[in-house]
Amino acid sequence: MAPTAEARLPQPITKAPTHIAGLDEILQGGLPRGRTTVVMGQAGTGKTVLGLEFLYRGALDGEPGIFVGFEEPPDDLRVNAATLGWDLSRLEREGRLVLLDGRIKPEALRAGAFSLSGLLAIVTGKSREVRARRVVLNALDVALRFFESPVAARNELHILNDWLRNAGLTSIVTYKPRAPDLDGLDDFFGSMADCVIRLDARVVDQVTTRRLRVIKYRGSDFGGNEYPYVIGESGLRCIPISTVGLKHEPLGEKISTGLSRLDAILDGGYRRASCILVAGQPGAGKTILASTFADAACRRGERVLYVSYEESAAALAGNVASAGLDLKPHVDGGRLVFLAYMPEAMGAEEHLMRVMDAVTRFEPHHVVVDAISACDRMGGMQAAFEFLMRLLNSCKERGITILLINQTKGATDRVELSGAGISSMLDTVLFMDYAVGPRETNRLLHVFKARGSAHSNLKYPYVVTPSGIHILEPALGPGEVPGVPPGRAAPGRQPEAP
Amino acid sequence: MKRRGGARRAPRRRGETPYRLRLFVAGNEPHSAQARATLERLCQHALRGRCHIEVVDVFQDYRAALEYHVVAVPTLIVEEPPPVRYIVGSLSDEATVRAALGIEGGTP
Repeated sequence: MAPTAEARLPQPITKAPTHIAGLDEILQGGLPRGRTTVVMGQAGTGKTVLGLEFLYRGALDGEPGIFVGFEEPPDDLRVNAATLGWDLSRLEREGRLVLLDGRIKPEALRAGAFSLSGLLAIVTGKSREVRARRVVLNALDVALRFFESPVAARNELHILNDWLRNAGLTSIVTYKPRAPDLDGLDDFFGSMADCVIRLDARVVDQVTTRRLRVIKYRGSDFGGNEYPYVIGESGLRCIPISTVGLKHEPLGEKISTGLSRLDAILDGGYRRASCILVAGQPGAGKTILASTFADAACRRGERVLYVSYEESAAALAGNVASAGLDLKPHVDGGRLVFLAYMPEAMGAEEHLMRVMDAVTRFEPHHVVVDAISACDRMGGMQAAFEFLMRLLNSCKERGITILLINQTKGATDRVELSGAGISSMLDTVLFMDYAVGPRETNRLLHVFKARGSAHSNLKYPYVVTPSGIHILEPALGPGEVPGVPPGRAAPGRQPEAP
Repeated sequence: MKRRGGARRAPRRRGETPYRLRLFVAGNEPHSAQARATLERLCQHALRGRCHIEVVDVFQDYRAALEYHVVAVPTLIVEEPPPVRYIVGSLSDEATVRAALGIEGGTP
């Protein structure tokens, strides 16, 4: 049966793009054309949205489709779709979309065995009418529950499967698995499909996180990770980023940090397209250091996206104004965009979407995240880690410099320093420390790491004044390691006016 | 082509309610064939021919299936006497069918 059909069709499978944001990248082109894809997931995971969006976007792209709902009447679908900005009625009027009510009348009496041939006849007829290329059978498990026995349900599923194969439509069958799989239907759903996608929604630390995973794709490679997704304002959106480190842009030229002294310490400044971490305790001036960089970049005519999870854009601007930084002209001039959200306002995926949306729209040269220590509040450590990894990857792939601020609690807690286990991604690490002496507390700036750069190993005292951060002369005594002079490879050693 | 012509008319007797039945079948699928046979037998005997059966093959006339919202076949729609009733299945559960048609007793 199936093997002979495949033997007759030795050509590689072709794919039907879903046009769902991010999904086609994960599927490496789309769903298997003319074949069946099973989408499984519990209630509320977005199976219906996925199916409907596949048809909606397909119809807009010239592939008419038929949606069979076994759970809800077409009117509900139209209303729900409208909230996503999809005008289904228009597509229906234009003969590009057909919504069919697949529910067996609940008031119908049952008197013996039956099949779903009525439905198949309707779908066949309608698909000829509109020349459908796509079909979605939504919540098929609900229809199968009407059958008197698991055997009857499986038989019907066989018939449906054959019908789908012969119809040559690109199809999605959605269903909700039951645990445990008493009647073996889950297995059969899995085996009938050329592609199986599982949707999953779980709540971690009171924040819902959704994950999509392709379990199987006959004849095709696919991204095998769990990918976060959200049901956003205009439909489903997946985050396909997984190609960790493979497409990173090389580090670019040196760009000014905004402080000539720091540029000297770093042997010329930050590197474009690098990832910089500024760690330190509260009050050390991390936000001011980051804003100084943003200010300098904007003055060069570059664009900066400043993502704030600690305070509002207004509060932040006021804070740095006290250090002589006036960011307003940059905001007014369209070179600086603030994105300020409470971390707990939404899940990590949604946060990532919003940042990536801004990155796509605004195309910044540099992104500041203030502060990554707040990301834990997006739904736990793991969510924060994934959020950061994906954001870092996206920025590195686009050649965007990303400056991360991390608020540390302890003075020199190196583990905590790099934050959320992203240390391998970091090119430059700056630490803003306090040195508490018997008579005074000094602030010290220290470069821990600067990939691809000579840099000073000295600790530099600095002060935050109404005209910004001023880095002072390092206290050069005898070296702390015998035989190693202080300020190894220290371009910043040479005295320089701040 | 249409199978709608499978109607069976019988002379009406005074004072007896006529049955108006519409049976949706799927070609010669076994469940459909069984439902058809059962219904015809009940009509001839238990209902003494007081019925008008219209058989609709969904494969020949999907629009009718759409119009009457027939997803599962066979489906028997009892249109008259009111209220309208839907009976899904091969009609092998004859007790349910008899009850729905208001047939009393156990006449074959």
